[in-house]
Amino acid sequence: MGRVIGIDLGTTNSCVSVIENGQPTVIPNAGGYKTTPSMFAISPDGKRLVGHLAKRQAVTNARHTVYASKRLIGRRFDAPEVTRVIELAPYEVVRGPNDDPRVQLGDKVFTCPEISAIILREMKRIAEEHLGEPVRDAVITVPAYFNDTQRQCTKDAGKIAGLEVLRIINEPTAAALAYGFGKKRDEKIAVYDLGGGTFDISVLELGSGVIEVLATNGNTFLGGEDFDRRLVTHLLERFEQQEGIDLRSDAMALQRLKDAAEKAKCDLSQRESAEINLPFIASDAKGPRHLNLELSRETLEGLVDDIVRQTLKIVESCLGDAGLAANQIDQVVLVGGQTRMPLVQNAVAELFGKRPHKGVNPDEVVAIGAAIQGEALLAEDKSLLLLDVTPLSLGIATFGGHFTRLIDRNTTVPVRKGHIFTTTRDNQSAVKIRVLQGESDQAAENDLLGEFVLSGIRPARKGEPEIEVSFDIDANGIVSVSARDLATGKEQSIQVNATSTLSDEEIQRIIDENELYEVQLKP
Amino acid sequence: MQAGGAARESQVPALAPGLDPARLPLSPAEGYLLSRIDGRTPWKLLREIGGLAPREVDRCLARWVEEGVLVVNGAAKPAAASKPPAKAGAAATTAAAAATARTAAPPSSPPPAPAAAAAARPATVSAPIDESLLNASLDLAVEAQRRILAYERRLGEPYHALLGVPADADAKAVKRAYFELSKEFHPDRYFRRNTGPFGPRVEKIFKRILEAYELLSDPTTRAEIERAARERVEEETVAPPPPASAAVAAALATPDPKAAAEAKAAAAAASKRMRQLPHLRAAHLKQLAERKAKARRFFESGVTAFKAERWIEAAGSVRLAIAFDPTNEAIRDAFGDIQRKAHDERAKQLLKEANGALDLRDGRNALRLFEEALVFKPHDPEANATAARLAFLIGEDLKKAKEYGQRACELEPNVAANRKTLGQIYAAAGLAANAKRELEAALRLDPKDREAKEALRGLGRR
Repeated sequence: MGRVIGIDLGTTNSCVSVIENGQPTVIPNAGGYKTTPSMFAISPDGKRLVGHLAKRQAVTNARHTVYASKRLIGRRFDAPEVTRVIELAPYEVVRGPNDDPRVQLGDKVFTCPEISAIILREMKRIAEEHLGEPVRDAVITVPAYFNDTQRQCTKDAGKIAGLEVLRIINEPTAAALAYGFGKKRDEKIAVYDLGGGTFDISVLELGSGVIEVLATNGNTFLGGEDFDRRLVTHLLERFEQQEGIDLRSDAMALQRLKDAAEKAKCDLSQRESAEINLPFIASDAKGPRHLNLELSRETLEGLVDDIVRQTLKIVESCLGDAGLAANQIDQVVLVGGQTRMPLVQNAVAELFGKRPHKGVNPDEVVAIGAAIQGEALLAEDKSLLLLDVTPLSLGIATFGGHFTRLIDRNTTVPVRKGHIFTTTRDNQSAVKIRVLQGESDQAAENDLLGEFVLSGIRPARKGEPEIEVSFDIDANGIVSVSARDLATGKEQSIQVNATSTLSDEEIQRIIDENELYEVQLKP
Repeated sequence: MQAGGAARESQVPALAPGLDPARLPLSPAEGYLLSRIDGRTPWKLLREIGGLAPREVDRCLARWVEEGVLVVNGAAKPAAASKPPAKAGAAATTAAAAATARTAAPPSSPPPAPAAAAAARPATVSAPIDESLLNASLDLAVEAQRRILAYERRLGEPYHALLGVPADADAKAVKRAYFELSKEFHPDRYFRRNTGPFGPRVEKIFKRILEAYELLSDPTTRAEIERAARERVEEETVAPPPPASAAVAAALATPDPKAAAEAKAAAAAASKRMRQLPHLRAAHLKQLAERKAKARRFFESGVTAFKAERWIEAAGSVRLAIAFDPTNEAIRDAFGDIQRKAHDERAKQLLKEANGALDLRDGRNALRLFEEALVFKPHDPEANATAARLAFLIGEDLKKAKEYGQRACELEPNVAANRKTLGQIYAAAGLAANAKRELEAALRLDPKDREAKEALRGLGRR
């Protein structure tokens, strides 16, 4: 059996892990760092740079350096989240032929799965160098609230990177796997995951080697970068007040400010105040200007307090879904670099009435969990089983434009669920089954996955025919839907495939193109 | 059971389809009797040629019918796996027998010898497996294959028995049982292995286990399941002992064999249906009734609100009533039109007010009123266009402006002013490509529009 790696493909940083001699190990990159920036750049001389190399030159090459592309993957160009990225990112986002956002670097346009693939390939390479053998199998993590398209795009990215993606699992679930690895106790745990770009909360139950996801919730557009952004805005305003210069249109200055803000934010987790010193940030007729500001922890906390409150609301609703009170949670696990902030830790401790668990490294725990799941799938002796769940509700459109759920989100898979429906008109001979995914009670606000018609219903008064609609999700997450007239036994069904923003041909073309750039590991 | 003698005589027993007699724990004499059953020989004749005393033949055949080994006159009775045969498992409770079937049946041991049959019967009879399905070339231990086949045969059992927990098991015990069974039957256990037809079997088993766990963990559904189980037990205790099953009693006791067969077929079909539709038809109907009652209440408050001319409230109540009882056309017939009328009237009123505000040059108020009107009449092109223009001029919420502008253009794509407004909105939102497209469209429709020209030039500069 080849080795299987676990990859935490993060918004800001990525991390790769493998099980060695029964112990999960985080693999450091060539620079000795255990996490690698999820950044990709094309240098002025046309070189492709990934990770730390890309980050190091980001200030001077801001327009051709991509970061946080995870915020774009699997979304539509017109989505408000994409608009927000376009507003703030120094790189150029253009509309792709499938209405997907793509990134233009120089004269080359990259799809989002392609950029993720470049990061994934780097992680694969780091693992291969460490292990001294080629790696093919991987488990990749995504935020719990990623929808089917975002998951499928991440899978495509893996494919483009030359990986066989065994599973896509949720980041908080992975964290729980890492926490539960080797533990025998029965426990209910909450995983509070505040990463660079996303916030996830999951409540899980651990017992005799089985991990069950009870509930999960989150916001795919709330994370450490929002903290940075608040800070950057604050700094911009203060500089403008002091010097009368608006730095917003200066890409290079913005990038420097962003770096400095991020660093100050991290410093303030340890200290009460931090200094931000950016000489020669701008210049005008009066000569060069320097940015020199003192920032207190209190100021930062005041800037982001409402974001933290927002996460607590989501936690409460997740606990509600799990049917648990905060004090019934035995252990709270913190994931994501942003949870190092004392404000976040205190808020979480206050809500749960206990200090969070300290034993795991919030930057590495997700990758470790992914590696553990990979091992659990392939290993001969099965000591750990993850009962994973569906991220979004599935159902059909019913009369009046309503959405009737058949499979609620957070339902364990594989699963089969059925429900009896009937006609709305006398002598109605056919029904249209529109398969939807989403959380709104309004059919129109959910995503249409597919539709079909069941005809040949025996003439009867409205409300009399019994039509059993069944939803089936198999172990690989493939959804099939069938409708059966119980009177005649007539049946119709469809299989619903997760859609990507890329077609199969496009993926193949990208794979072919990228082979030119592939660096082969020397055997 | 002697009473049923006359009826039985003309019945023709046959082996249940898919059954492998080799797996049954039988004495040689019983085995001989079984070998005489070919689906053509009537019960009466079997008494004579079965090699056993007629009373013994009756007893054996009745037991086999009850256990699902035999079907009579083609009407199959599902294998009553959870019920231990009267002879062997008298002391065992349903749950205990089921638990034994899962854990204690040593699937790799040879079929029990006739002498040991009595002791081993609960486990093996309840889940006889078809040996021909075993396949040593698969990437799955034959022992595991046996367990999967044995468990698959038990999927029709009551949920408690399926999980192997006693009827009074608490939530924790149910969960523990579910976890333990998941470890064996979750498809991930066999990830990437060549399990042939066992893959789908495992998946089917897991789905059923999950169903049992979910329904037993929810207090409401669990209460319903337990009530149904109690009713079944009562039904069975009323029937003459032995045979314990009501369906078999009916088949054996009814004087007219044809009627008996029909009754039995009906019972079998009903029980099959109960098993297929997750059990909870009753719960489903109850829920339906509750929803209908709720719908009635909403409908009534809707009527009251409508009479009081509280349009929005009336519409809301009716919408809720329809949501709770979508098939009730009385509600929809009565209210569909009135609701629309109420909307139109309200929209008309609001538009009047909005235009009034516009005359007073109170843009903000006008926008608010137009927006409210659009709630009732979302496809009014003029209202959309004006709302877009106002939202753009006020400039606070470009997203909203964009929505109105887009809708106005959808409704009336050939009105230059609409395209121009949308173009200006796009331009303000920094969406240059879109802005260019719309402004160019506006100029195609009205080449003299100076504002559009200017806006387009402005784009070029940026």
